[in-house]
Parts: sequence; structure tokens; C-alpha cells
Amino acid sequence: MDSSSNNPKKNQLLAALPDVEWQRWLPQLESVELRLGQVLYESGDKLSHVYFPTTAIASLLYVMENGASAEIAVIGNEGIVGISLFMGGESTPSRAVVQSAGLGYRLTAQAMKDEFNRAGPVMHLLLRYTQALITQMTQTAVCNRHHSLDQQLCRWLLVSLDRLQGSELVMTQELIANMLGVRREGVTEAAHKLQEEGLIRYARGHISVLSRQGLEKRACECYAVVKKEYDRLLPERLAA
Amino acid sequence: MNTPLRLPTDPRQNHLLAALPDTEWHRWQPYLELVDLPLGQVLSESGRIPAFVYFPTTAIVSLLYMTQDGESSEVAVVGNDGVVGISLFMGGGATPSQAVVQSAGQGYRLRAQLVKNEVDLAGPVLHMLLRYTQAMIAQVAQTAACNRYHSIDQLMCRRLLLGLDRLPSDALVMTQELMANLLGVRREGVTAAALKLQQAGVIRYSRGHIVVLDRARLEQRTREAHAVSRKGYDQLRSMPLAA
Repeated sequence: MDSSSNNPKKNQLLAALPDVEWQRWLPQLESVELRLGQVLYESGDKLSHVYFPTTAIASLLYVMENGASAEIAVIGNEGIVGISLFMGGESTPSRAVVQSAGLGYRLTAQAMKDEFNRAGPVMHLLLRYTQALITQMTQTAVCNRHHSLDQQLCRWLLVSLDRLQGSELVMTQELIANMLGVRREGVTEAAHKLQEEGLIRYARGHISVLSRQGLEKRACECYAVVKKEYDRLLPERLAA
Repeated sequence: MNTPLRLPTDPRQNHLLAALPDTEWHRWQPYLELVDLPLGQVLSESGRIPAFVYFPTTAIVSLLYMTQDGESSEVAVVGNDGVVGISLFMGGGATPSQAVVQSAGQGYRLRAQLVKNEVDLAGPVLHMLLRYTQAMIAQVAQTAACNRYHSIDQLMCRRLLLGLDRLPSDALVMTQELMANLLGVRREGVTAAALKLQQAGVIRYSRGHIVVLDRARLEQRTREAHAVSRKGYDQLRSMPLAA
């Protein structure tokens, strides 16, 4: 992976920083490679850094006592991984795992806290982002109760696609099954149906999305509800 | 009819208000308005900016999401442990959920503008509200996981405990109908689960009402789901307010 091609402006929150903040943050942002499966933090950990993905995507997982995990949110180039640092809890109830390898930036815990405590535009931006993230988690709770695997798979593919360049995802069925908290066979069957309908092409861990519109039609309302909230709460992203 | 008991009431029955440092407490006191919160009252609607935040003392409020198909799902429970209207201090105003009183009682409300002013001060109050929000996130995360993995039986046990935690006494009474709406399941599923719990002596179930008899047994049955959430809450609430 070519780290020299990384650029903080590829993260929409960083790109939305006003000039003064941007100049102050730039020397403190460290470019990092985020490998597939890398655990950015475990539940209960005290965070040492926050992360701003640029080309990577992370999943927040709630881990149950029996070891089973459920994905509760997805964070990519639109956001920040590690909100508990400024929300004040110091540690977090979820685990953050890299779900799609790529690049990002990180900031030390102290730098993040200092910036947040200035109580300026950064604080307001991060609070709005946190509200968007809460909406995503809330919608996932609803989705897990009410919607079918077919719909959830479509939603999940769209959510990932929104955070990548192009229309290709590199993801095994195993990983998707883990994220959705279902059996792999279910994902195989659902993916097969989407392929039959010409919406995706799926071979050996590479998923090409052929019809985004088709996926949006098949997804449950949860995709649109969350997207609308992100666009409303973080209009800077669209301009960036 | 479901009229709340007129007991002497104190804003500090709400844990967040009780945790306010003296200066902030005195600043807020004149503006905290005692209100009756009757069963079913809608405190904020989906997509609309609420006019007030609410700090329940004896009432319990559900945050509900309605799907396009008209089904409901409770996404969080707020009682004397918290505040309704997080979006007002997070800056987003409205949310897709609605807040509805699920167990009648009382609470205190504060005008939205006052909350926003407090946020701009970025002092101990904001930090307290953010820590509460963090605890709320943990509750929602657990709900998401529960909805993925747990049976109706487990969902119901968890929900009964969430309610008991937020009530002044050990008495919790709920209709099956309400439970089904909150869990987002069919009423028949609740009936079946309730019968099982009754057979186990955990609840009494009569004329559509569920009454919890044995909290310890209830906790045992839902040990996993509840314990983690409670620990997180307690940890977050016991933290000192200094930023």
C-alpha cells in the first residue's frame, strides 16, 4: 500500500475543518496503514488515539459475553473512530476493527482532547458527527429486529460503497456474515440472488456493484434514513 | 386511567440533575419546570426539533422508531438515570425517533435554548451530558446486538430489568400489548414468553398485565444481556465531573 498517496483531505471531517484548525492539526496527524482485521481498540480499552479513515473502513462491534459479535456501526472516510475520547467515558463498550484495508490518519488521545476542549467549531462538528453515528446505531437496532437478511445485505453493501472510491468491494462472505451476525450460508444465498438479478457480480471475495440503484431499491428504509441524517447533520461533507 | 401519584418531588431524584455542581444547579433551578408525564404523552416527534429536554424523576420514557410498515421498535429507555432530548445538545435538533412516555410519572423540563446556552459554555454540564450520551450509546448498541441474537424471552427479561432499574419501587406493571410494541414483536410471542416466565415464578401474568415477582431470577435469566449494560452505566455515572 502506497502511504505517500494518503491525504488528510480525503477524510471528510478533516476536510471540513476551518483553516485555523486545519493548520494546527496538520503537523499532528500521522498517516497510518490500516490492515484488514486490525483491532483499533477493544471494548474496555483506554484509547491511545482516534482515527480518521481515508481509504480504509472500520466496523464498531458490540461483543457479547459468549463471544458473538454484532456490528453496530460502520465508519469510513466520513468520520472518526474513537468518539469515547471526547464523550468522556475514557473507555468504550465496543470493539473497533478494520473491515476494509486502506489508509487513514490518527491523532493522539491528548491532542484530540485538547482540541475538543477548545469548545470551538471542532467541538460542534464532532458532536454533530456523533449524533449521526448514534442514528446509524439506532437504525441498526431497528433493522436487526424488523428487516430480512436480503435487505440488510443490500444496506450493508451500500454503506460500504459510500465510503470507498469506485464500485468494487474486497470482502469475503465470511466477513460479511460476521458483520451481519448471520450464518455464512445465508450470505451466500442472498448474494447469489443479487447476482442473478444483475445487481452485483461476486467472485472470490471481490464484489462489483453493477446497479447501485437496484441495491437501493432492495435495501430496507434504514439505508436512506441514515444517509439523509448524515447529509443533514454534516452538510460540509457534501461541499468538501 | 393512569394518574401519577402526587408525592413530594425533588429534581435531584433525577441522577443527572443530582450530579450538577452547585453553581450550575443554582443557575438551572429557577428554570426547571415540574411536569406530569402521563402514559402515552409524546414528548418529541420524529423529525421535529423538541422544545424542551426532559429529566424524568418517576416517569419512564421510550425512544421509539416507527418503520415505514407501521411497526414500532423501542431503541432506548430513559428514566431517572437520564435526559430526553440528547439531539438538542448534540446540535442536530431533530431525530428520526420519537419520545413517548411509557410509564406515567413526573419529571422536570428545561427549555431547549437554555440547554444550548449551557453547551456553548462547554463546562461540567456539557461533560456530564456527554457521559450520559455515552451510556445511552452503550444501551442502543446492546439493543442492536440483542435484536440480532436474542429470543423474545431474553428480550423481554432485559426490557423488564431496564424498567425496574428506573423505577422507585420494585413494582413494574406493563401490558403485553405495550411490551410487544416496544420489542417490535408480535403479541402472541409476548404471551408465550410471559407464560413461560410465570411458570418459572419470575412474573405474575394476569389480564394482560405483567407483574415482576422475582427480580433475582429475572436477572439470572438475562444475566448476559443486562449485566454488561448496567456495568457500563454505573462506571459512567460514577465518574467525577471534572473534564
